Amino acid sequence: MQVQEILNILFEPYIFIPLVFPGLIAAFIVLLIIIWLERKIAAKVQLRYGPLYIIKPLGGVIQTVADLIRYLFQEPIIPKDVDKLAFLLTPVFLFGLAYLPVVVIPIGPSYYAFRSDLSLLIALALTTLAPIFTVLMGWASNNKFSLIGSVREGYLVISYEIPIFLSALSMAILYGTLDLVEIAEAQRGIWGIFLNPVAAVNMLVLMYMSTSKFPFEIPEAESEIVAGPYTEYGGILYGLVMGASYVKLYVLSLVYSILFLGGWNPLPQSMIGNPFISGSVLFIKSFILVAFGAFLRAVYPRFRIDQAIGLGWRISLPLSLISIFISLLLVMGGVRFVY
Amino acid sequence: MEAEERELELLIGPQHPASGHMRLIAKIDGDVVTELRPDIGYVHRSVEKIAETKKFLQIIPLVERPSLPDTTANNLAYVMALEKLLGIEPPPRARYLRTLLAEITRIHSHLYGLGIHGVMIGSSTAYMWCFGDREPFLQLAQELTGARLTYSYIIPGGVRRDMPKGFADKVEKVLRYMEGRMKDYFDIYFNNPVTRARLEGVGVLKREDAIRLGAVGPNLRASNVPYDVRKAEPYAAYPDVEFDVITEKAGDSFARVMVRVREIGESIKIIRQVLKRIPDGPILHENYEKLIPPKLKEQYKSTGIVKFPSLFANLKAPEGEAIARVEGGRGEVVFHIISDGKTSPYRLRMVTPSFRNVVLFEHLTKGARVADIPAIYGSLDYFPPEADR
Amino acid sequence: MSIDRTVRHVKAIITGTKYLFSGPRMTIMYPEDIEELPEGYRGMIEYDWNSCIKCSLCAMICPADAIKMYVSKEESEKEKKIVKRPGINYARCIFCGFCVDICPTNSLTFSKVHDMAYYTYEEHFYPPDKFAEGIKHVHKGRRVRVILDEKRGIKYEPVD
Repeated sequence: MQVQEILNILFEPYIFIPLVFPGLIAAFIVLLIIIWLERKIAAKVQLRYGPLYIIKPLGGVIQTVADLIRYLFQEPIIPKDVDKLAFLLTPVFLFGLAYLPVVVIPIGPSYYAFRSDLSLLIALALTTLAPIFTVLMGWASNNKFSLIGSVREGYLVISYEIPIFLSALSMAILYGTLDLVEIAEAQRGIWGIFLNPVAAVNMLVLMYMSTSKFPFEIPEAESEIVAGPYTEYGGILYGLVMGASYVKLYVLSLVYSILFLGGWNPLPQSMIGNPFISGSVLFIKSFILVAFGAFLRAVYPRFRIDQAIGLGWRISLPLSLISIFISLLLVMGGVRFVY
Repeated sequence: MEAEERELELLIGPQHPASGHMRLIAKIDGDVVTELRPDIGYVHRSVEKIAETKKFLQIIPLVERPSLPDTTANNLAYVMALEKLLGIEPPPRARYLRTLLAEITRIHSHLYGLGIHGVMIGSSTAYMWCFGDREPFLQLAQELTGARLTYSYIIPGGVRRDMPKGFADKVEKVLRYMEGRMKDYFDIYFNNPVTRARLEGVGVLKREDAIRLGAVGPNLRASNVPYDVRKAEPYAAYPDVEFDVITEKAGDSFARVMVRVREIGESIKIIRQVLKRIPDGPILHENYEKLIPPKLKEQYKSTGIVKFPSLFANLKAPEGEAIARVEGGRGEVVFHIISDGKTSPYRLRMVTPSFRNVVLFEHLTKGARVADIPAIYGSLDYFPPEADR
Repeated sequence: MSIDRTVRHVKAIITGTKYLFSGPRMTIMYPEDIEELPEGYRGMIEYDWNSCIKCSLCAMICPADAIKMYVSKEESEKEKKIVKRPGINYARCIFCGFCVDICPTNSLTFSKVHDMAYYTYEEHFYPPDKFAEGIKHVHKGRRVRVILDEKRGIKYEPVD
């Protein structure tokens, strides 16, 4: 009976979601798979194989596990003149805070860890905490390249945060609620991306801007500033910071799937009660978005910092205001949602 | 804050992912570069001094190797200067074969420069595609000369090997492959709005400055100066083939990239004409052919591989000086040999195009942004070992 | 954002997707596949003891001073004069092929081996008797031929 009790506790939503799915363990597995997938996708476009030799019939999929084991056993070199406390703690905080918003993500209409009237706002607000630690990393490293990288990250944060909030909130205006469960339920008929495509496209581009995907890989631009804020890191600290941006993308794409791609809809009524099926549909949608972000590495070069900031202020901000306007028009025109 | 505290001095040194074998000392104010000084000499190996201790034929591999990947230009310029000293001219078939190898080298040297430039601005696809597409050309050169990159193919009096059978068909297949790939290159890289935004208007070199500073090669032609040594002082088979000198008006990094891309097309044209018009005949000058013993001469005529006369081990050039100029992939290569009648030259002077383009670093990056440094560096197609020799 | 820029963005992504699903691969899986090198490839040198006339032209022309003449003791004692034969140092050889091209009796020839590895520095030196033994190097891979192709650039086909 002990095992049965433990399983009962494990499948309680407030333990299952943050810990297993879509929480820590699922984020970890996504991280392992998406790093391998990014290298394979880039290799296929670039006429070569990518990682292949570790378990050759599987296409080298265990490569990331091998890399992780190497990072665990590698000595992290701590330079003499760094600010030690900040240097050692910021990667841990960065990785931890990157997946914190997952606590408010529901994976079924009645399966959620934390329900509140403001869960969309909570999720977005928690994603803004991570860049503080990137800036702190650059300062703590006592290296001119890291300084330049963290200043770039600071500039980028200011230019993408406002449009992301406005685009997400325009959908909240449309649905009339800030509760993620109700937003997902409201899209039983039609997905949000068809109602307000301007907000959808805008938020997609900004999502990639906030997590350093090409063409916005600016704070860690390799050919200009070595690795930006992450220059002085080695060993497991390096593994953590490299994984943090992927985890942030994963969490943001979960929020995006609920806002625009209907969450777990369209599912027939019989299956909607089962959290595993609705959770899998949500997971597949967000994984496709993460994989698309990885695919963009093979297509685009990198923007310059002033061009990326110009895109944020001159194109994304007006587009997000237009999307709010569209939402207002639709609401005034009589679009209502039933929960 | 005073200006000294605001300004960062950044050492983009040899241990940097995108600096090559040189150090760039940059003074940065915010995101704007106020001064960029290149610090060259990291890979100086005193090629010119070593050449004073080696015999004339031994210098051929020596001067080839600084200028990877454009080895044929150095080889050709040196042998042309030596032939002027010796007072001989190669036979016509050898001149056409020299042109063939020079144009194949030009194509894969331009692809190398474009690929490195791509990865410096972040597009790893451009890098992998350019380097993958060099591979058919290296296979062609391997069939012709026996090596992939350092050919040592051109010797005083002619060339070392004749074209193998079926070579012209293979060349035609590879040229058609390259032409077919150009559309995909333009779609994914050259017409990509991000690439254009990174390269257009960056590092503008005006026409007067290009002439005054002495820029060479595609950097000069991208600023609307139609100067090409192949037209100004024709050598090898260039008087007999028709081609255009590619220029662009804008003078920015994108113009330099476009000049190189279009020069690949012109090289394809030249190779096709060379293969059509190549005359039959010997590939080594008759003065040296008659020095080969008769049995070896039969073998040379049947296999097409030259056997050196034993004179080559102790070749003496008469006293005098000679200068030869060649248009390499990166620009003009000048060789100046002073001989005093011995088996080694008295002085060998080698002016490489990258050495003449170094001055553009300081001039073009005034007022540019930090992210423009790799964009300008790659567009100049600067190769540090070639400049340092 | 003008229409032209959006179209070019879309074209770039479509080209990337096209290569993602149907892109060929240019990699040769070395060392499981070994490339079949053409005739006349400039690899390591093989030396024929009997036809060598000991003219030492190869040592005179070598640009990297890789070939040096070693005194061959037994032959010197037999013929009552100094007899020298060439030996090669592969740490210095640059595979230029001048020695093969100048040898008047074709005693030096090219083999197709270019990727030999040694454990110590001394193993690079081949005195004349070891030089005459030839290159003992076995490739345990599958031989593939390089075919130049119009659509794919390079194709690899196994030789059998």
